[in-house]
Amino acid sequence: MKSLATAASAPSATPAERGVPLSAGIRKYVHRHFDLVVGAATLIAFFLAWQFARPLGIPGLSAVEPPTKVVAASWDLLSSATFWTACYKSVLRILAGFALAQIIGVPIGLMMATNRMAFHTIFPVTEILRPIPPVAWIPVAIIFWPTREMSTVFIVFLGAFWIVLLNTIGGASTIDESYRRAALSLGSNRWHLFRYIVLPATMPSIVTGMVVGMGISWEMVVAAEMIASDTGLGYLLWQSFEINAGAQVIVCMLAIGIAGFVSSALIGRVGRLLTPWQGRR
Amino acid sequence: MDARTNARSPGAGSGEIVVSHASVGMFDRGGKSLQLVEDCSFLAERGLFTVLVGPSGCGKTTLMNLIAGYIGADAGTVRLDGVDVKGPGWDRLMVFQETALFPWMTTLENVAYGPMVRGIKTMPEIRAEAGALLERFGLGEFKNRYPRELSGGMQRRGELARALINDPLVLLMDEPFRGLDAMTRQLMQEYLTRLFEETRTTTIFVTSEIDEAIFLADRLVVLSRAPARVAAVIEVDLPRPRRFEQLSSPRYAELKEQALNLLYAEAAAAFEETGAGADIKEAFERRHVAD
Repeated sequence: MKSLATAASAPSATPAERGVPLSAGIRKYVHRHFDLVVGAATLIAFFLAWQFARPLGIPGLSAVEPPTKVVAASWDLLSSATFWTACYKSVLRILAGFALAQIIGVPIGLMMATNRMAFHTIFPVTEILRPIPPVAWIPVAIIFWPTREMSTVFIVFLGAFWIVLLNTIGGASTIDESYRRAALSLGSNRWHLFRYIVLPATMPSIVTGMVVGMGISWEMVVAAEMIASDTGLGYLLWQSFEINAGAQVIVCMLAIGIAGFVSSALIGRVGRLLTPWQGRR
Repeated sequence: MDARTNARSPGAGSGEIVVSHASVGMFDRGGKSLQLVEDCSFLAERGLFTVLVGPSGCGKTTLMNLIAGYIGADAGTVRLDGVDVKGPGWDRLMVFQETALFPWMTTLENVAYGPMVRGIKTMPEIRAEAGALLERFGLGEFKNRYPRELSGGMQRRGELARALINDPLVLLMDEPFRGLDAMTRQLMQEYLTRLFEETRTTTIFVTSEIDEAIFLADRLVVLSRAPARVAAVIEVDLPRPRRFEQLSSPRYAELKEQALNLLYAEAAAAFEETGAGADIKEAFERRHVAD
């Protein structure tokens, strides 16, 4: 952490340095971009600590391959077909499981929120199944579905499904009564109420469900691939660990992190397209 | 639609609401029955601006929901032009306390909503009409904005436009200007008055502001403390077109005094019954003695 201290305090400097144009410029820069400077300093410190963890004897970190080796390993891995096939497989599973969760979860949620009979029929079942973590479903999924591929997609689906369902129910059952009343007065029938009031009023909650659900989908795909699959990033990660390729493990972790980040950003985009009336945060 | 966009003869195409012996009750959380409106009768005459005033919590909103058809009466009837009101309908349109413009629709889409779901015209016709109406309401530039992007006063005008495009027989307004700042509120009162004097659509307007009530009203229906009954009806004979200068006329002062005395009697009786708000009553009494 020594490097952090020097990096952050050096430019803001001693009074003796005042009047020197260059240092004044740096001071001004640091003042204006304080967050950037501190952030960069932290990152640099972190990578330095990681790189020199072994000679410095930092516990934990020294067990991990240093960044230089990770970079070298990523070069090898990124130019191999194995890696890209794994990415492709995982993304496909995410897309399938996530899409199924939306296609099944949103209508069921809307139905449960707008129809008392449907709610009381389905609610007891969901309340028993929902607290079970999706990972705990893996063995049953393997037995239940004819292929490993289907089992993996099922686990991804389950991960996103509950959050999609809960958000949809929550959103659709808390619609301001005055919107419904205004729509009724203006001559809406049941279909109009659903299409122009219930659906758009629930959309922000559905989007929230999508964003959270996408995060959970990535968690689930990695877990399911480690156990139930022989392809995908989760499998590659576990495989790298088993053959003792430490640097490759890190590369896989980073790849999964980046993929999760990119898909969250994409979902955010889609969400803004679906709810154009909402203010930007 | 031409009847709407042009000034029309007073009362033409507008309806008459007769509330007779209406009672509405409900059960509170403890299962105790609670009477909100009791044996309430009044008339909202064709082409007149009827204002309901009453102490807060007296059941004004319940009465409006009854007329709009959102709730049913336990006893008595609500009739529009002699026909029993059986549910919500575009012939009686409500402007709500807080804006109920649909946040997910642009101003134009909001205004076009009624004609669209009723399918009475083609979409291009409806859009053109809604656009023209918004232009007339000073919202032409904001037709493609979402309600969130409009000021409070603009939202209320948008909501008025959304109701009026349907040519309702009766306009119901439940404290529509609550929450607006004093300046905007006054502008909206003036705006609504001009609009009414132009169209003469039968209007029932709920407020707890006595100045607003008298400025807008042809007829003031003073409601009793809960459960709501009619305590008195005051004919507001101030000439139209209304001007804010009339608020300083001797006749206005008389009307206000008359209405305030009735309201005070009701509020005082309510305090006596419930024991709540004794301090307010005392303050009011002291003020009254000083007068």
